[in-house]
Amino acid sequence: MVACISDYLKKIWALSIKDMRLYYFKGPTIVMGVFMPMFLWLAFMIGSSPSIGSAVAMLLSISSFFAASSITPVILPWETRQKTLEMILARPITIELVLMGTCLASMLYGVFISLVIIAIGIFLGVCPANIPVLIASILLSSICYSFMGLLFSAIPSDVPADAVLLSSVVRMPLIFISGVFVPINRLPILMRPLSYVSPLTYYADIINDLYIGRSAFSLGIDFLVLLLFTIILGIFTIETNRRTIIKRL
Amino acid sequence: MVEAIGLYKSFGSVEAVRGVSFSVSRGEIFGLLGPNGAGKTTTIRMITGLLRPDRGRAFIMGIDVHRNPIGARSHIGVVPEVSNPYVDLSVWDNLVLIGKLYCIPKETIIERGKFLLEELGLYDRRSSKAKTLSKGMRRRLLLAMALISDPEILFLDEPTSGLDVFSARKIRSMIMGLRRNGKTIVLTTHNIDEAGMLCDRVAIINKGKIIAEGTPDDLRIRYGKYIEIKVLFDNSIDSSVLNELRDHYNVTCDEKWVTIICEKNELDEVLDKIMNIKHRLGLRIKDLHIESQSFEDIFVRIVRGE
Ligand SMILES: Nc1ncnc2c1ncn2[C@@H]1O[C@H](COP(=O)(O)OP(=O)(O)OP(=O)(O)O)[C@@H](O)[C@H]1O
Ligand SMILES: [Mg+2]
Repeated sequence: MVACISDYLKKIWALSIKDMRLYYFKGPTIVMGVFMPMFLWLAFMIGSSPSIGSAVAMLLSISSFFAASSITPVILPWETRQKTLEMILARPITIELVLMGTCLASMLYGVFISLVIIAIGIFLGVCPANIPVLIASILLSSICYSFMGLLFSAIPSDVPADAVLLSSVVRMPLIFISGVFVPINRLPILMRPLSYVSPLTYYADIINDLYIGRSAFSLGIDFLVLLLFTIILGIFTIETNRRTIIKRL
Repeated sequence: MVEAIGLYKSFGSVEAVRGVSFSVSRGEIFGLLGPNGAGKTTTIRMITGLLRPDRGRAFIMGIDVHRNPIGARSHIGVVPEVSNPYVDLSVWDNLVLIGKLYCIPKETIIERGKFLLEELGLYDRRSSKAKTLSKGMRRRLLLAMALISDPEILFLDEPTSGLDVFSARKIRSMIMGLRRNGKTIVLTTHNIDEAGMLCDRVAIINKGKIIAEGTPDDLRIRYGKYIEIKVLFDNSIDSSVLNELRDHYNVTCDEKWVTIICEKNELDEVLDKIMNIKHRLGLRIKDLHIESQSFEDIFVRIVRGE
């Protein structure tokens, strides 16, 4: 049993390393995962003059979100296109292990980008209130957003650009309703319920809490809801992809 | 080693595989031979656990492939019909990745990887990205990737399709070598000569059903009772003259060439009749061929259901 689990972990890690080497430096990943959130952030910065603390918090929130969800949408369409999917699935692994490897790679991308931004913040003299809590929130939210990204890879297309497009269409509006740039309590009353169903809201709330001491919910609620989102998205996305992956052969 | 029992699979209204059963014993090369769309790939996918059959079961070394896909697949190596190595990884890294998925110790991967690449003539290219390889080289790399775990059983879906004669020969000789080392091999092909050359046993599959099974020689004897007689006369002959032959045999006439297909035991009669015509019309015979039907002809006849 223990040997079995350690074998699974080794296989997931091997798949994940493969995904990192193949996709971390691909154009769409860098554009959607790094530049896109940066440009959005710059665009907002130019129009307003927030404190340096809230500027770092904003960049951190959207960068983690975009980076962690930028790799999972493209891998399955890409592998279908390159005709490597059947080759890899014929090995002693399951579809679930392949999906987990993908999510791990995507999640670590989010974590890595987040750490870079935190480091830049510290360099500029902006320190989060509680580093362990910050790290925990980054880990959990990155898993959550990588699952979310994986949902888009279930589209019946082997054109990676389609998945990227669809995922952007969904991610973009989420940024504006999740209390990243505009605090939730200043959103139009009609949009507020929407912000409650966005997984970004709760992560952004933790970040705001730790960087500028402003929060809409308590940390406990943020983590709990984020965990629920992660579990639900995880089950749903793996199940959906398990059904559609066979159609890709 | 490999057992398929009543496999059935349909895609919507297309019945791709309709009750395929066979078993392959240790050290055998078993060929699934059939025209395009016969259901070969679908069958292989079900046996290797990629597709779940609508009905029927598949076993690899006694392990139910759909109950325990990881267990079953750890005994096999597969080269799918349409597949690629990771083109942005090097030849060597592709091999190592697959080795890791079988949880093989690193030293073993290195040792075997080196041996396989040398054997397949890719060792000099080990650090090239797979995208720089030619089609034939990619196929060989895929074969090496299938062999890195030293599997007991190998599944090859159309191992030589699209390759030139030299690459195809290389792969074939590799396959023969593997059998000498005691490997069990299941391959699919629509190349009849290849099946005749390589396989100990073939099953001919058409429209999702196995319609004949046996050694290539078996099939030749069972279905190959027809022979083809070709005669070249010195002058073109009027087609109507051949009507008396047409009543009994399959006759075609192309200017001076006359081709007659008949059963072996009718050879004497047919030759007599040809001599008759020759004498009557005062022709001379300039050339004559008598051939048993090739495996290809037999295959075409079995598939047509004659
Ligand atoms: N994923 C799929 N979805 C729908 N139909 C399919 C699918 N896979 C196979 N088929 C159909 O099933 C039938 C058998 O296909 P299969 O690929 O098994 O044939 P094959 O014998 O391997 O042919 P080929 O020699 O062309 O490779 C075909 O009619 C094909 O169109
Ligand atoms: Mg096929």
